[in-house]
Amino acid sequence: MANLKDIRTRIASVKSTQQVTSAMKMVSAAKLRKAQDAIIQMRPYAEKLNEILTSVSSNLSSDVENKYAGRKTEGRILIIAITSNRGLCGGFNSNVVKRVSELVSTTFREQAGRKKVDVIAVGKKAVDGLKSKGIIVTNSYLDIYEKLSFLTAGEIAQSLMESYSAGDYDRVELVYNQFKNAAVQNLVNEQFLPVSVSIKDTKATKKASNISYLFEPSMQEIVVTIIPQSLKIQFYKALLDSVAAEHGARMTAMHKATDNAFDLIKELKLNYNKARQASITNEILEIVSGANAMKS
Amino acid sequence: MLKLEIITSEKLLFAGEIKIVKLPGVSGSFEIMENHAPIISTLMQGKIKVKEINDMVSYFEIKGGLVELSNNDVKVLVEEQ
Repeated sequence: MANLKDIRTRIASVKSTQQVTSAMKMVSAAKLRKAQDAIIQMRPYAEKLNEILTSVSSNLSSDVENKYAGRKTEGRILIIAITSNRGLCGGFNSNVVKRVSELVSTTFREQAGRKKVDVIAVGKKAVDGLKSKGIIVTNSYLDIYEKLSFLTAGEIAQSLMESYSAGDYDRVELVYNQFKNAAVQNLVNEQFLPVSVSIKDTKATKKASNISYLFEPSMQEIVVTIIPQSLKIQFYKALLDSVAAEHGARMTAMHKATDNAFDLIKELKLNYNKARQASITNEILEIVSGANAMKS
Repeated sequence: MLKLEIITSEKLLFAGEIKIVKLPGVSGSFEIMENHAPIISTLMQGKIKVKEINDMVSYFEIKGGLVELSNNDVKVLVEEQ
């Protein structure tokens, strides 16, 4: 039986850990709400932009000359791994790292063999995780989360678009956690470039085909201005999703940790009481046997 | 009644019923009033002037954007400065 003082100190330390985890859970819950708000705020813009893009491109007869369109060659691949800067959020970051190394060793195996796969890390945890897997990180963005805005996200997206149109890469892939709800994150890899102007939303196209719009200055030019904007939005959305998913994941992880601490305390208290009882019983036994020895 | 919404990627700047809106189109500034024909246009850097139903006038500085109008429903997607 462990000694009483040891158990007492363990109980105290578990209790203080529990306080920390439950505080972190609360903080994450508050940050999650903020992150969710940002997604909701962004949605009308993204939806409208998409609607205009589909309605314009469905009116176009020929393909638009577009420097972000697909190419025949599938040479150089760029993977963007989006993680958080902080840990303690369950499998959130390691899932992204795992998926990236999976992509490198399966889907892009051939390109990786020819050293034509580059990885850019967004968030400190991606840098650390990928390094430990032996994947070379060519570039990293570490401090975008402090002041995440459409402007900062747009700058990164812009530089990605530029390196694509300059021919540095033939395909850009995003790997990130998509926010579903507070408890569920979906790990996705999504093609960022080349962009495909496809008619995804049939409802939007139907609505658009009923209205004959005037186009100023011309359909082509409108598409050319919308595409970079919609790419920036896509990248921004991926970042916002990742932030919301991070806080969701941390909230769940911390909730579990708090629960575990609670169970641990219960068990330790039981042990403590057992040990205390045993020591009392021992003492009584000694006294009684001592008294008996005196008597005889 | 002409309805207007000015949306950025981060928030809603303006929503309401208006009399007239003046927009900095790429091929020249233009105004939209009630029963304007459906239009999609790109916007350049400049000012949006909005005259509300109670004759209150407000301005929005933009860096660029897009406008879509159908059925007296104007939606302006803008990039803020």
